[in-house]
Amino acid sequence: MTTGIVFDPRYLDHEQSPAHPERRERLSYTMDQLQEEGLWDLECIRLLRPFPSSIDQVMKVHDIEYLTFLRESSRTGGFIDFDTNIPVNLFESALLAAGGAIRAADAVMSGEVKNAFAMVRPPGHHAHRTTGAGFCYLNNMAIMVRHLQEMGMKRVLVLDLDAHHGDGTQEIFYDDPDVLFISIHQSPFYPGSGSIEETGFGKGQGFTVNMPVPGGTSDMSYLYLLEHLIRPLAEEFGPSFIAISAGQDIHFTDPLTGLALTASGYAEMMNRMVDLSEILCGGRLVAVLEGGYSVEGGLPYTNLGIIAALAGLDISCIREPDLYHDWLIRAVDPGAHSEVLENFSALKSLLSRQWKCFAKKLS
Amino acid sequence: MLTGVDIGGTNTDFATVGDEITAYKVPNAEGFAGAFSRGKLEGRLAVSTSQPLNRILTGDPISVHILTVPGPGLCCHDGMNGAVSHRGDIVEQIDPEEIADCISRNRQDALAIICKFSIRNSSIEEEIAKIAGPWYPEERIALSHFLGRMNFPARIITTELNARLKNTVSTQAEIIRRTQGDFLFFKGDGGLASPKETIQCPSLLYNSSAAAVALGAHYLTGENDCLIVDIGGTTTDLVPIKEGNPVMEIIFIDKKRTMIESVRTHSLPYGGDSVIRETLKPGRIGNALAFGGPAPTLTDALNCTGEEIGTHGLSKLPSRAMAETIVDKYVAIVVEAVKVKNPPKLIGAGFLSPYLIPRIGKEAGVPYTVPYHAECANAIGVAVSRVSLTLYARFDTGRNMVAYNGQREFFEHTDDDEELIKICIDEVRRRALESGAYADDVRDIRLQYFNAYDVIRGGYRAERITDIIVQIPPGITAETR
Repeated sequence: MTTGIVFDPRYLDHEQSPAHPERRERLSYTMDQLQEEGLWDLECIRLLRPFPSSIDQVMKVHDIEYLTFLRESSRTGGFIDFDTNIPVNLFESALLAAGGAIRAADAVMSGEVKNAFAMVRPPGHHAHRTTGAGFCYLNNMAIMVRHLQEMGMKRVLVLDLDAHHGDGTQEIFYDDPDVLFISIHQSPFYPGSGSIEETGFGKGQGFTVNMPVPGGTSDMSYLYLLEHLIRPLAEEFGPSFIAISAGQDIHFTDPLTGLALTASGYAEMMNRMVDLSEILCGGRLVAVLEGGYSVEGGLPYTNLGIIAALAGLDISCIREPDLYHDWLIRAVDPGAHSEVLENFSALKSLLSRQWKCFAKKLS
Repeated sequence: MLTGVDIGGTNTDFATVGDEITAYKVPNAEGFAGAFSRGKLEGRLAVSTSQPLNRILTGDPISVHILTVPGPGLCCHDGMNGAVSHRGDIVEQIDPEEIADCISRNRQDALAIICKFSIRNSSIEEEIAKIAGPWYPEERIALSHFLGRMNFPARIITTELNARLKNTVSTQAEIIRRTQGDFLFFKGDGGLASPKETIQCPSLLYNSSAAAVALGAHYLTGENDCLIVDIGGTTTDLVPIKEGNPVMEIIFIDKKRTMIESVRTHSLPYGGDSVIRETLKPGRIGNALAFGGPAPTLTDALNCTGEEIGTHGLSKLPSRAMAETIVDKYVAIVVEAVKVKNPPKLIGAGFLSPYLIPRIGKEAGVPYTVPYHAECANAIGVAVSRVSLTLYARFDTGRNMVAYNGQREFFEHTDDDEELIKICIDEVRRRALESGAYADDVRDIRLQYFNAYDVIRGGYRAERITDIIVQIPPGITAETR
């Protein structure tokens, strides 16, 4: 099994401002970890160099007016919202990030690699058709999925694991029955959307699934949801391709969020998603980096965990140093799991109208 | 005056380079110590000892206990407790009892200690070396942080090699120092290093003979783009030169990456001492008949075709036709390898090069040169080399620390990029001069890598991390000008 990793040093160039959470430092320790692990020497790992996506590819998702605004603003610098400035040269960085996701998908489709991780910046899942938001400019995930659809992938499962609801991706596929969008995210939290009642529109009704979880939710709940929510939906949907928005701000050390996943838990989730992809769609899976701001304590270990799981490497030693143990104890809310079960029960009830896997269980 | 010594598989070659060049060979029958016992050699002494080391690497059963401290990350079974972070902080303590117990129960000939991220903080490796003191003397313990670069698995492989080599290199250094005083080792990258640096990291010597030939042939001919064909006793080595420098490559052992960089060499398993058993065979069982050996070799075949090498009357083969067939076979093998590389020019080196290179060049359709002293180009290369040094520096203003090749030092706070580069240049120059470099050889210092980023904590720029690599590249010493 070969796993592709899309990376380019230019992904470290983008910075809204030197002190912004989504800054150059984000991947520096991760790159140290990968290099120190000798990852690039492993036969099961292949470095994939990205290319900028074309305007045509981006226009399958975003309006031309927005793209024109983005291109013009990135010549001199600009502003979208309080969290999302447009630094000079942003447009080139954003095209390279979207192109990185496409490069990963192409490598999987051509058989160059079995699966892939697009370790791209800036992230994309808050980017809507007509505007950027929440550190995001172009929706890398959506651009990749539209590209996959053009290549003949009939049904694509998008799993968004970022702590923040993937509102941009949801909006883009809200009426598309060929894309099953599942998001597990902290709630209440930015951007405020992602309630269980948001289930799609028109032909897309029932193909958007939101599972909000409270702060302090830990490995146990995520692995529970993977087995009882994601697996049955995926099996019934029968995807041709699985795409994961691999936000890592669900890690317990993340300074911007309140969830409590460990690197080990993240690696195990990815491990199970790889298994699922092999059962359902010939192993075709791409993970695309989204958020994650614990640059030292979280990202080096979660990113490594994602790659190790994708490549079928031993994940038993993927963990944070003991130094963070007390932090984890404080981050986990022992009451969170019962709230997760309660929300999940309500969600199943809603989904049972459309999804047999949940209808059966209700009866 | 510059003196170079290259200890090969059959002979030890000596060369002195001053107003004129003198060169001679001493058979290895006298042993390593014998080669240096004929009195003090003149001028600055540089020694290449790759052949004996290569033999240890390929056969000598020196057992090594590999002790790792992997910390979090990819699985590394049987590792010890303890961890260093990306920033060089000790984030998990070692357990001295666990380590002492492990070392005492796994006694081997040598010990290799490798801690993940030790290049950011070497203290765990140093502490373990102290714990190992009762079981292993210093010259049988190798630490990985001296390698200077990230890649834990490659450091494991290389530190194991270093542990296997360290005692031999220490002993050789002591023998040379006792009879000759100060000297320098010649490395596989074509530069020189102090005995202290080499003993810390003896794999630096790997494949140094090929680098010596490359440098020597370049010095003797001034050719910048060519292929050197070095006809030795056991092998014929093809060494490409591009823009005046040998081509470097990473060495893999058993398909595993090491941290060793050495001159790219294509080695053919035939040389002047290759034995003839009906036809030419790879491998050496002794000298040619013409040099008192037990069986006919390629050298004897040349004599049987009319050459006069050594005591040529002793060379015997059943027929001249057979001798010609043997020489034809050897030439065809080399020509085929040369044609694949399609070089603009051939340079001959080694004792048999005057007899064989003209024919190889003609049949390959490549212009050729066999320089005067071609038979000792290797020792001449060693003599004319200069001290080379690579310094890997990480500055961390949050810790007020700089790690030079893994060894941490206090560093007075500055985050000015230009100033940090200047600090590194001054440091690598200081270290090179301390190693014995000539002042004129430390002017050409190259910045190989620079990367810096801010550490943001609480929304503010709190610290800055800067990685810098500077190098005094290998090359020919200014003393020859």
